[in-house]
Amino acid sequence: MPAAAQDLKAFEKTVTDFTLANGLRFLVVERHDAPVVSFHTYVDAGSVDDPKGATGMAHMFEHMAFKGTEKIGSKNWADEKKALEAVDRAFDALRAERNKARQADKKKIEELDKAFKSAVEKAGELVETDEFSRIIEQSGGVGLNASTSADRTNYFYNLPSNRVELWFYLESERFLRPVYREFYKERDVVREERRMRTESNPVGKLVEVFLTTAFNAHPYGQPGVGWPDDVENFSIADADAFYRKYYVPSAMTIALVGDVDPKEMRRMAETYFARLPKRPVAPPVLTQEPEQPGERRLEVESQAQPVILVGYRKPSQYDKDRAVFDVIQSVLAGGRTSWLYKELVRDKQLALAAGGFPGFPGEKYPGMFLFYAFPNSGKTVAENEAAMYTLIEKLKTEKVDQETLDMVKTKNRAELIQKLERNAGLADLMAAYQGVFGDWRQLFHELDEINRVTADDVQRVAKQYFTKKNRTVGWLVQAGK
Amino acid sequence: MKRFGIVFGLAGAAAAWGQQAAPKPAAAAPVASHRDLEKRYPPLKEVKIPEVVTHTLPNGLRLYLVEDHTLPIIRGHALIRAGNLFDPADKVGLADLTGAVLRTGGTVSKTGDQLDQELERMAASVEAGIGETSANANFFALRENLDQVLAIYADVVMHPAFRQDKIDLHKNQTRSVISRRNDEPDEIVRREFGDLVYGKDNPYGWRIEYEHLDRIQKADLERFYRRHFFPANVMLSVYGDFSPAEMKQKLEAVFREWNNQQEPVPPFPAVTHKAKAGTYLVTKDDVNQTNLRLGHLGGILKDEDYPALEVMADILGGGGFRSRLVARVRSKLGYAYSVGARWGANYGHPGLFLATAGTKSNSTVKAIQAIQEEIARLRKEPVSDAELRTAKETVVNSFVFNFDTKPKTLNRMLVYEYWGYPKDFIFQYKKKLEGVTAADVLRVAQKYLKPEEMVLVAVGKPADFDSPLDTLGRAVTPLAITIPQPKQERAQTDDKSLSAGKAVLAKAQKAAGGADKLASLKDVTVALRAQLSGPMGNMAVEQKVRLIYPSTLRQENTLPFGKLDVYTDGKGGWMKHPQGQMPIPGPQLQQSRGEMFRMTETLLLSDRDPARTVNFVKKDKVGEREAEVIEIASKEGDQVTVFVDAQSGQILKKQYRGMAMAGPASTVEETYEDFREVSGVRVPFKVTIFQNEKKFSEMTVSEVQYNTGLKADELAKP
Repeated sequence: MPAAAQDLKAFEKTVTDFTLANGLRFLVVERHDAPVVSFHTYVDAGSVDDPKGATGMAHMFEHMAFKGTEKIGSKNWADEKKALEAVDRAFDALRAERNKARQADKKKIEELDKAFKSAVEKAGELVETDEFSRIIEQSGGVGLNASTSADRTNYFYNLPSNRVELWFYLESERFLRPVYREFYKERDVVREERRMRTESNPVGKLVEVFLTTAFNAHPYGQPGVGWPDDVENFSIADADAFYRKYYVPSAMTIALVGDVDPKEMRRMAETYFARLPKRPVAPPVLTQEPEQPGERRLEVESQAQPVILVGYRKPSQYDKDRAVFDVIQSVLAGGRTSWLYKELVRDKQLALAAGGFPGFPGEKYPGMFLFYAFPNSGKTVAENEAAMYTLIEKLKTEKVDQETLDMVKTKNRAELIQKLERNAGLADLMAAYQGVFGDWRQLFHELDEINRVTADDVQRVAKQYFTKKNRTVGWLVQAGK
Repeated sequence: MKRFGIVFGLAGAAAAWGQQAAPKPAAAAPVASHRDLEKRYPPLKEVKIPEVVTHTLPNGLRLYLVEDHTLPIIRGHALIRAGNLFDPADKVGLADLTGAVLRTGGTVSKTGDQLDQELERMAASVEAGIGETSANANFFALRENLDQVLAIYADVVMHPAFRQDKIDLHKNQTRSVISRRNDEPDEIVRREFGDLVYGKDNPYGWRIEYEHLDRIQKADLERFYRRHFFPANVMLSVYGDFSPAEMKQKLEAVFREWNNQQEPVPPFPAVTHKAKAGTYLVTKDDVNQTNLRLGHLGGILKDEDYPALEVMADILGGGGFRSRLVARVRSKLGYAYSVGARWGANYGHPGLFLATAGTKSNSTVKAIQAIQEEIARLRKEPVSDAELRTAKETVVNSFVFNFDTKPKTLNRMLVYEYWGYPKDFIFQYKKKLEGVTAADVLRVAQKYLKPEEMVLVAVGKPADFDSPLDTLGRAVTPLAITIPQPKQERAQTDDKSLSAGKAVLAKAQKAAGGADKLASLKDVTVALRAQLSGPMGNMAVEQKVRLIYPSTLRQENTLPFGKLDVYTDGKGGWMKHPQGQMPIPGPQLQQSRGEMFRMTETLLLSDRDPARTVNFVKKDKVGEREAEVIEIASKEGDQVTVFVDAQSGQILKKQYRGMAMAGPASTVEETYEDFREVSGVRVPFKVTIFQNEKKFSEMTVSEVQYNTGLKADELAKP
């Protein structure tokens, strides 16, 4: 790559961009430094799309996407297919009885539950456990993982470049014909994940209550890992319905970065991914969070040391002021010269750490700019809260000086260069920017947008959005304090 | 000319054929099975190992340079032989503090804040830190700022100033980190397990406590720095957009003046502790998931059997989804989201063999049993061919990722040299691993995995466990994890010091108006104004105090936001504020009792109380005045250090432990000025209070009256 690689023109030469007939978009970035390739599949669906009563579904499907296909993960598909059908029937019968609620026959439920569990055991015996993942890793795949956030779901790993076709085969198959084996066991795994991240984790607990308090109508208030009862009542039919609705080719973007021949990648993409049927894109979430009529406050009692979260409602990433929020983030929370660090951590020593960022929990819809602080021992959340407001008020009343703005711009330029350093990171960004904005070039245009932000913009946006009425405040405190 | 043209033409054509001929074209139709692909992967291209230019400067600093013009950036990484294993036993945390303040404390010519500003203006960074077995100092620069950043980097490495304010800042932050170390169950289990296996009586198992921080001084940091940061002890790798010749020149110039010479750093201590096998329980009643660790000491990377042990551990519980533990405990049983096992091996000292899991409370014992069964199975039967093949192929097929970026390769080179490992160690490892058999795996499982020596640590809520932990067959040892408050250092006590203390006290009594006078006091009323300077800014408080000796107190405070009244009789009381009234909270009661203990009029009569000791500590100076220092303590644990003017007998200063709400307590000092006589008693009309050496309150007394006939029931009325 030429020296001025952070220039769009130079970088563009390394990118091949094509869309299949079914709407699935591919971005291929050539880098021949090492014979490796990074893959990233971006799906434009996340926990914000979970159906009511089935929170955690997007995340659950992400788990299911590792369970294999008819050919992968089964000891004998013909038998397993029958066994899974038997599980479905047993589950339907059990649920039908349970749904009778007060009229339900307790004894019948017991019998049906026993039959259901036995059907699950039988089907489980036909499973070739974790074969999908094993194939990838045995072939030299590294960094195999996936993630579900509010707005999106990501699947990614890396392979030696001579085995690229394996990725085409596996990735197309997993989204073409997923098999929901070990579904009911996997609910238990997801329950454990919830215990780990939320129920037994003080900050996780705070974040969950914070979100439900901040968002009453909009599903950004729903926990991504799902409410426990919703998870325990998942059915395969629910998961499959979610998959059919949201995993459609035109809502997916794939990036391949590394030692590849774009022509060959195109050929393989057609061979393997053209099979995915074209389906309509699911509708967006239409429920909007109404304007907040006043400040919201919440408290979570914990044995842990205190933490404070302060979130201000902000527009989505499609708003014209997006870059201004990025600049605000740099000024208030970016590094040792940022206001929060200088005031709360360095000078007043109120906090062990303090910061903030936009895009919480997501950015596709109006979300929040979130500030946080971890008070130093002997200091209180109240003191930290007051100190944060002093800085936020300053942002509204005093214009940020030119030196600070220049620093923000230099920092963003350096960050863009660093984003180009690693294949896997670049694949993630390319797919995400393409999926979110419809143009991967936004990764570069963003820099120009940030460069155009003025001190007046910063003041205006701060005045408009960082108001008491617009905020939610969450305290994690010890009982009695 | 024509001849050459034909030759070039042929060469060109041959090259074109070469490109076409190499890989087999992909099928036009998707493969029926992934196994079909195995047969036709083209060979993997060779990895380009970057050229590393090495050079040693005249002062001994070793350079390792890799040129790469892909992006206009340069990164430097210095690896220095030091580590927290060299912390003194009474000052654990010294290495950590030195590493942090090396950067934040600035240099001789620039403060840390100035460096922050300069660096962030260039979107550059210079950072440093000291870990367990190495120290590092790094920089990042955009090409256009290289010279400036190099200058700062070298300045930080060669001339750190360790300014006191940044030492205090980092200490304060470390105290907060200590106070948070029991908030997350997985941190608890990791720490407790490690300390049990490595032993708490040696550097591997030491942890930073408040008392260590209290002892560490700037001189300690300077000493630690000088001992370990010298050019012959530094390996500096630089990578990025430069030419090696150019970089060599620049680094030579910028580090030329560095001539600190030291003896070679001693080797790191060996691990010698023999852990006590057993089951250990940390009760945490606010979780519904148990965090588990089970295992013992591991080995080092150079062990002959390491490759076989890697394969064994991978099959048992390696990363990814292919292991026995994940298949059974997660996928089949659904007990855990997070479960695995690892044969821990470090370069220089043994790592930890451990199996870990997080499982809901009521499958705790079942999950442990499942893990133990898998370990037993591994030691009993050889692993299957399929498992063996998977484990080996996973490493062999992903081998290229050890070299996928130039910095990775460069860093490995330095690490091998640092630890005295052969340059081709990773290739030797790969070769050995390819030769591992199922018999080898069985052999090492039997030799190295010792169930009877295993330490099990569980962090969770035993009330919700499926069965009691001792069902597993061993007695359970409860672990207390309360964070220790720093011990209050007490002076040596013997007859000589006690009688000397009594003499000083007598002097102070006389100066205050005489012991009999003091004993005749029944009550006192004081009006004062306090100017507080805290984190919220400055605040003035009007205070009226009425006290019936020794312990009935009524305090009325007028603050900017309203009135705050407190009453106590030493055992209980109430507190009234604008929002309402409540019984006096514990911390406030304790605070009031401390105040009453330290009240001069009764404190000076401590020799009349058999339950108190008055001990002579030392001679000292308060400002310009010579002082005799005594320590007065009560049986209940109250303690105060009093500095008495050696000439006049006047009390110059009191020093005591302040209240600790959370985290460590502060050191409080009260100084006295403007003494006036009231009813025959010498009373200071100006009192200044310092908390951890920062001025906290300045009190100006406007009125003092003794023996006005205060009545207890009047004071008690809200």
